[in-house]
Amino acid sequence: MPTTTDGPLSGIRVIDHGHVWAGPLLGMSFKDMGAEVIKIQSPTGGSGVSMAGKGMAGTATRDAVDISDPMAYHAFDRGKKSLSLDLQSEDGKEIYKKLVAVSDVVVENFSARVMPSLDLGFDVLTRVNPKIILASLSATGATDGPWRDLVTYGPSLAALYGIKSVLGYHDSDHPQEDQADLDPTAAGHAFFAILAALESRDATGRGQHIDIAQGEACIQRIAEPLMDYFLNGRVAGPQGNRYPATAPHGYYQTSGPDQWISISVRNQEEWEAFRGLALQNSENIANSKFETLQGRLDNQNELDEAIESWTKDYTAMQLTKILQKSKIPAYPVMGALDLVNDENLNSLHRTNITVTDENFSPDSLYRGVIWKLEKGQGEITGPTPSTGAHNVEILIDLLGYEETQVLEFQRNGII
Amino acid sequence: MIPAQEILMDINGPLKNLRVLEIGDFISVAYAGKLLADLGAEVIKLEKPGTGDSLRSHGPFPKDIPHIEKSGLHLFLNTNKKSVTLDLATKGGRDLLISAAADVDLVISNLALDDTTNDPLTYESLSKENDMLVMSSITIFGYDTPYRDWAGTALTATAASGASMKIGNPDKVPLWLPYCAADFQGGIHGAIAALLALRKKRQLKQGLHAWISVVEVMASYLGGSGVPGFVFQGVLGSRDGTHRSGFYPWQVTPAADGFVEVITMVDEQWKRFINLMDNPDWANDPRLSDRWLSFQWHKELDAFWHPWMKGKTRSELFKLFSENRIPFQPVNKVDEIVESEHLALREFWHEIEHPVVGNYKIPGAPYLFSQTPWAVYRPAPQLGEHNDEFFETRLGLNASQRTELIKQGIT
Repeated sequence: MPTTTDGPLSGIRVIDHGHVWAGPLLGMSFKDMGAEVIKIQSPTGGSGVSMAGKGMAGTATRDAVDISDPMAYHAFDRGKKSLSLDLQSEDGKEIYKKLVAVSDVVVENFSARVMPSLDLGFDVLTRVNPKIILASLSATGATDGPWRDLVTYGPSLAALYGIKSVLGYHDSDHPQEDQADLDPTAAGHAFFAILAALESRDATGRGQHIDIAQGEACIQRIAEPLMDYFLNGRVAGPQGNRYPATAPHGYYQTSGPDQWISISVRNQEEWEAFRGLALQNSENIANSKFETLQGRLDNQNELDEAIESWTKDYTAMQLTKILQKSKIPAYPVMGALDLVNDENLNSLHRTNITVTDENFSPDSLYRGVIWKLEKGQGEITGPTPSTGAHNVEILIDLLGYEETQVLEFQRNGII
Repeated sequence: MIPAQEILMDINGPLKNLRVLEIGDFISVAYAGKLLADLGAEVIKLEKPGTGDSLRSHGPFPKDIPHIEKSGLHLFLNTNKKSVTLDLATKGGRDLLISAAADVDLVISNLALDDTTNDPLTYESLSKENDMLVMSSITIFGYDTPYRDWAGTALTATAASGASMKIGNPDKVPLWLPYCAADFQGGIHGAIAALLALRKKRQLKQGLHAWISVVEVMASYLGGSGVPGFVFQGVLGSRDGTHRSGFYPWQVTPAADGFVEVITMVDEQWKRFINLMDNPDWANDPRLSDRWLSFQWHKELDAFWHPWMKGKTRSELFKLFSENRIPFQPVNKVDEIVESEHLALREFWHEIEHPVVGNYKIPGAPYLFSQTPWAVYRPAPQLGEHNDEFFETRLGLNASQRTELIKQGIT
């Protein structure tokens, strides 16, 4: 099992306070791309747990993480090192500061009060190591304001920030539940921001604090209705599968039960090609109302019915192949069962699975590494560590403590 | 407030030394370019002569009157960029792109791989005159995969990732993630791949190509596929409409004047909610004894407490829930989030002055840097606004060469 990689982040040391989802996923992103990631966990257990699994495919669990559940256990902490440390104690803080002094990045997704209340806010960390970059992911940001200390989950935050108000059927104002992706969206923005801060730190020698409000990172994706409000005062409601200035655009029923095909036609040229194909089997599409984009937008219900009268005679993949031959964007609407056998997605995931241990099967179905580099590709380097698995290595080899001191830390519950 | 014609601020973003060319069309690559440009990178956006990026014709437009400088999506996604018109479908245009790529650090692209079939814009061709060049490609299906040449949009990627099959009513059509959310994900991860590859380039002392697949981002990083849950736990994700199964409650619940998101896994929070309703008897219903099994009775259980919710407005409920540390929050509409006091205190909305459009606001910084802040140095550029600078200063073309390019429709 490789312990180091030639990933682009080799040589970068990250202290990971992540818990639940956004934070651990961010730490995992660093690890997969070659950084050394040290996960700080409480010696008494309880905190620092990454949640995954049990019925919800990698988002949350009813139980504490269970090593017999490989997906949950290895979901976000694979390949990391674990240091158990009581950050409330003076000795714990001392050890922590020594670690900060030799690290590059600290990531945490506590609520905004936690790090300062431990006396480990950015002002303290930067005195220990002016090069340190601290990334704080909170729901609503570190600024004093009415939402600063909200207790929230991704789905409620999506509601609060307006994102949920546009998710639903276009003929009803009742929003539908989402796929709960605020945490990974925030983790992606945070990863980008930290990589950018590393660029500037390499140039200037100065680290900084990055305050990331998950809601503000995620609201970017509804810029379009926000701009419509700013420019026209219009307030968007649920959109169904429609998209402004684009028709047809939607999911259409195919021959199997609950089997659908996605079709989006981007311009008049694609429309002509689409119409030509559909006309071979369905005359409904010949309606002169559908000739122009405006006509299609004005008569979208009729258009969708006409298209469905054609698509329902095919399987989703049959029709996908027909449409793709004419370069029209189409693909079956996939479920988990379809994806297990999806040739394209599996070919993406199979590239870099290198780990084998008894709890971590080298199965292609773990999350792969999504950033593909022609050279220096990231990789999955190991399983999730047990709590404190790397205490000795970190305290003695990295921070220079004596063995007797480590034993005493152990006796006193510091580690 | 951004000055209309000139940049008065010193560029201080963490990427201020980075020089980038943006090629392609629509949201995903433009968002990647915006993320880089808003942190100080110089991003030159190459656009089709005449009509420009299709963002410019998409809207929303003020008063719904189309105008290539006034599309809201363009005004948001192209902040801080320079605009140059160059037709990459022509040989002349592609040759000029290769010359321009000699003088930048990074090319970001979401061009379909077969857009220019006869002379593809691959990393190999673009790096001909610059062996330190980094290129980051945002693809829908992947770069070395079976469907690499297939056409795709944000809708296609959402469908292909598995995310949709879990969104919407089980008796109705599944739903996409609206407003091209998948393209925004493609943008962020394309920008990450670019910074990772730039770091690798310095280690190798040689340029390289990086890419992402939007389908994979949605399926894997965003957790859309549901595959691990199926393989390891035998759970097939289902569409549960306004609810989600798994635990109870997780749902969008009607209030007197709209909707509220109700979700909690934590028993203490659930008890505080029950307490708020004066501990009704139904709270002891055995069907609530294990909330991980309760979803199957959600219709009957909802009936116990929905009337209480419907009797109160969202703001009344939000106040009660916040005071009692219960994580239920109102579904705000876009006007309501714009009016948020919290976001005003964060100075989130950013006011811009544009020479053609006038004043407007855009969503602001996705992150606050203490030293090298996100900033808008200039509004979205007018089509071809930086042609002179690009063709004369960068590529060293003289006036008659420029005229020839215009005559051939290359710029």
